[in-house]
Amino acid sequence: MSDARPVIGIDLGTTNSVVATVQGGMSRVIPNRSGQALTPSIVAVARNGKRLVGALAKRQAITNPEQTVFAAKRLIGRRWGAKEVEDARRVLPYALVAGPEGNDVRVQLGDRTLSIPEISAMVLAELKADAEAFLGKPVERAVITVPAYFNDGQRQATKDAGRIAGLEVLRIISEPTSAALAYGFGRQTEKKVVVFDLGGGTFDVSILDISKSVYDVVAVGGDTYLGGEDFDRRVMDWLTFGFARENGGVDLRTDKMALQRLRDAAERAKCELSAAPSTAIHLPFLVGGGEGKSALHLDKQLSREKLEELTKDLVDRCIAVTERTLKDAGVRTAQVGEVILVGGMTRMPRVQRAVREFFGREPCKGVHPDEVVAVGAAIQAHALAAPGGKGEEVLLLDVTPQNLGLLVVGGYFQTVIPKNTTVPTSQTHLFTTVQDDQTSVRIAVLQGESERAIDNELLGEFVLDGIRPARRGEVSIEVTFDISADGIVGVSARDVATGQQQSITVTATSGLTEAELKKILDEQRDDLLEKKQSWKELDEGRERALAMIHDIEALVPAVEGALERSKFGKDAIQKASAVLVRARAAIEARDAAALEAELEPLDRTLQLFRGLADGRPGGR
Amino acid sequence: MGRGRSPRETLAFDPRRRRPIMSAGGRCCLKTDRHDGFAFDAAVLSEDADLEVERRKEILFAEANLGRWTHWELLGIPWGATAAQAKAAYLEKAKAFHPDRYAGRRLASFRARLERVFRRLTEARDVLVDDARREAYGRETAPPDQRAKLELRRLEDERRVAERRARLARQNPLVARASRVGELVARGRQALEAGRLAEAANDLQLAAGLDPANAEIQALAADARRRAATRRASDLYEEALAAERSGRRGAALAAFREALGSDPRHARAAAGASRVALELGELDAARAHAEAAVRAGPDVAAAHEALGAVLEARGAKKDARRALERALELDPRAEGAKERLKRLRWSFLG
Repeated sequence: MSDARPVIGIDLGTTNSVVATVQGGMSRVIPNRSGQALTPSIVAVARNGKRLVGALAKRQAITNPEQTVFAAKRLIGRRWGAKEVEDARRVLPYALVAGPEGNDVRVQLGDRTLSIPEISAMVLAELKADAEAFLGKPVERAVITVPAYFNDGQRQATKDAGRIAGLEVLRIISEPTSAALAYGFGRQTEKKVVVFDLGGGTFDVSILDISKSVYDVVAVGGDTYLGGEDFDRRVMDWLTFGFARENGGVDLRTDKMALQRLRDAAERAKCELSAAPSTAIHLPFLVGGGEGKSALHLDKQLSREKLEELTKDLVDRCIAVTERTLKDAGVRTAQVGEVILVGGMTRMPRVQRAVREFFGREPCKGVHPDEVVAVGAAIQAHALAAPGGKGEEVLLLDVTPQNLGLLVVGGYFQTVIPKNTTVPTSQTHLFTTVQDDQTSVRIAVLQGESERAIDNELLGEFVLDGIRPARRGEVSIEVTFDISADGIVGVSARDVATGQQQSITVTATSGLTEAELKKILDEQRDDLLEKKQSWKELDEGRERALAMIHDIEALVPAVEGALERSKFGKDAIQKASAVLVRARAAIEARDAAALEAELEPLDRTLQLFRGLADGRPGGR
Repeated sequence: MGRGRSPRETLAFDPRRRRPIMSAGGRCCLKTDRHDGFAFDAAVLSEDADLEVERRKEILFAEANLGRWTHWELLGIPWGATAAQAKAAYLEKAKAFHPDRYAGRRLASFRARLERVFRRLTEARDVLVDDARREAYGRETAPPDQRAKLELRRLEDERRVAERRARLARQNPLVARASRVGELVARGRQALEAGRLAEAANDLQLAAGLDPANAEIQALAADARRRAATRRASDLYEEALAAERSGRRGAALAAFREALGSDPRHARAAAGASRVALELGELDAARAHAEAAVRAGPDVAAAHEALGAVLEARGAKKDARRALERALELDPRAEGAKERLKRLRWSFLG
């Protein structure tokens, strides 16, 4: 724990999130306060008005569906009215409303209307607190991962979420890239690596050239509408149709509660089938029979073969996307030195088999599919926080995930910086006027894959005027796009003849306006001030606690020696360190009540330790 | 920093200057051995940034040379190095010039400088790892001694390509055939115009055989063939007449028959053949020739005369007289027919 100001890496997932750090040259996943590596990305307001995050929120999801927000990642940085949002509104049990300016998505939660970054911030804040409890130090800086295919708006919204959670976001990096960082860390590898990332909501493929400590991203590809949830949906459909057939056309999809149970059961069955050849799906009292009849139960047996049959085309799509990405990058499967599987869906034997057959090699077994992304983020955070002059820190050469360009006449999209370009970068293109004596031109900056401008994301726009009047096509306008290492896009336009120039820094709209963001951050500052005040009152408690923590820590070596051969020793040490962690967390969180509660266990531990150390003077 | 002028002086020297100019021609002050007489801007060197002086110099030196260095020089590899070398050099340079290497440090103006250098590095890498682009760039940036060699090689290559193309054309049966047909037709037409009908017929016939689908060539060839046959028949006919006059009956008969071979409808040749055959006592042959002659040329007096002669020889005097009368009718000046008819009448009377 030599790092003065520890930094963390966060994999903010659709279903689960993970936090990790690098300590003394080793990467490690930080367990949350309930000892789990995975924290469900779920936020809820319980019946008693208490805000719940993570496993606690997940546990009450079935009984409180309207006030439980999950899969917020699918909405982050999206516009109100976008196809994804419309789809989500149909299936999500919680209420979505339009933002004040009508262009982003908000969630009605309790008596408040929250933006998506605020929801994600709650998850991030939980992870931050977990990390602080674990490290015993405040954590202020982090790298957060997003799917490779996230556009600028989605990345910006994720960054805002980090800010709201009280984190300085050092960098947003792509999940597959992060996985590759984790794979190569400390391995002195020199090879081409393909990361096959099939997560809950999206599918990403990345190709990287790892050369010792330099990670050169060659290409990224993927499908934003392909993930574990699609597999679940196949199982759900199979269950609902089967159920309707057996029960005289009862449609489970009309019952939100039943649907939620069905969704959970489908996901569980899918996961079980990765290990077992067959599984039972049993949902008693799923829906009322209606008209005084007794409730209906669902009882089904699902085999692995059936699951594979239901989802065959999804697996085929993954392979097709992989093939296209390799082709775009001019990489043959024979040149690939390693295939890394990331995301829970890659546990499915059929997926592993498809990957093995396509690449003609066994995928890498050395990385943990759920944790690897967070670990990579931690490694990048570490490199960005404390870059050593020794040249041994990792260096990530990242690429642009999507084409960047302009709206041109006819509603078309003209790419200026193609996807998979190494950043930082700048490119200049010449454009011209389309009308005689045109004196101004609107520069609309877009991002996306479509040839039609309207299908792409608008990042920003500005007007260049003062153009010399001339016949159409005779004016040369030089447009320069610039992406910095931080991923900030700048665009400038210049009339070559007059030298008239105009430029903007594109700050993608995350949905939150700058004023709103400021307000949220101000509110939090007030919150902190309040806590500080209450802290003052309990200053004495803190002094006592700190003194005891100090004494206990000083006794640890002696106690460890005394307990070495005792079979209860490990347990005792663990219990004691749990007390220390809780006490530290209470101090860090300035939570007076929690600290008060920890004083007694601290005192007990100290007495116990003293006794043990005295009993075996000299220790080991 | 004591070797040159002080930073203050430099500022006074050119206060408007924002960054070192690409071809900084001795405007400034600090010199180091490593950067080969390059003049650093002392104001920038003493900027408030969290960077060692050597690092600063390295960055400034690279940045100032961006406009001058080739991609090879920028990456520090020899001209013509391989894609793998370029890639390795790029990764090595990235470690020194990627802004992330200095994350968390105060960089002042050096952040923008680093990014400028890194962008050029990436550009250089993109060109030099692509085989086609590297080759083109290599030609553009070849050192003088290499350039001559390269130009020579390029010309040699071009010549070889042209040669190869020609050879392929010759060898390729399709291409060869097409060009041969063209040749033959041209030659055939020339011969046709010059009246060398046999030659023309031969060439065009060959061309038609090589390109059986071409109707124009087919028609041309048929016409040439017909005209050549007619010409040959009349030549042979003249030859036969000459032989007959000089009393070489055998040769005359052969020539008449050959003419008929070329042009079976040559009535005079048939008549001649009949005449000579009769004189040679080949009565059947004479009769066949005479009948063929009348069939081919019902308006030819000689044909009827020949028939008359044959009929006379066979004793069919009445028919012979009719045939001879027909011959005289067609050609009142046909002396042979007149004579023979007179003789027949005499014998008839007698």
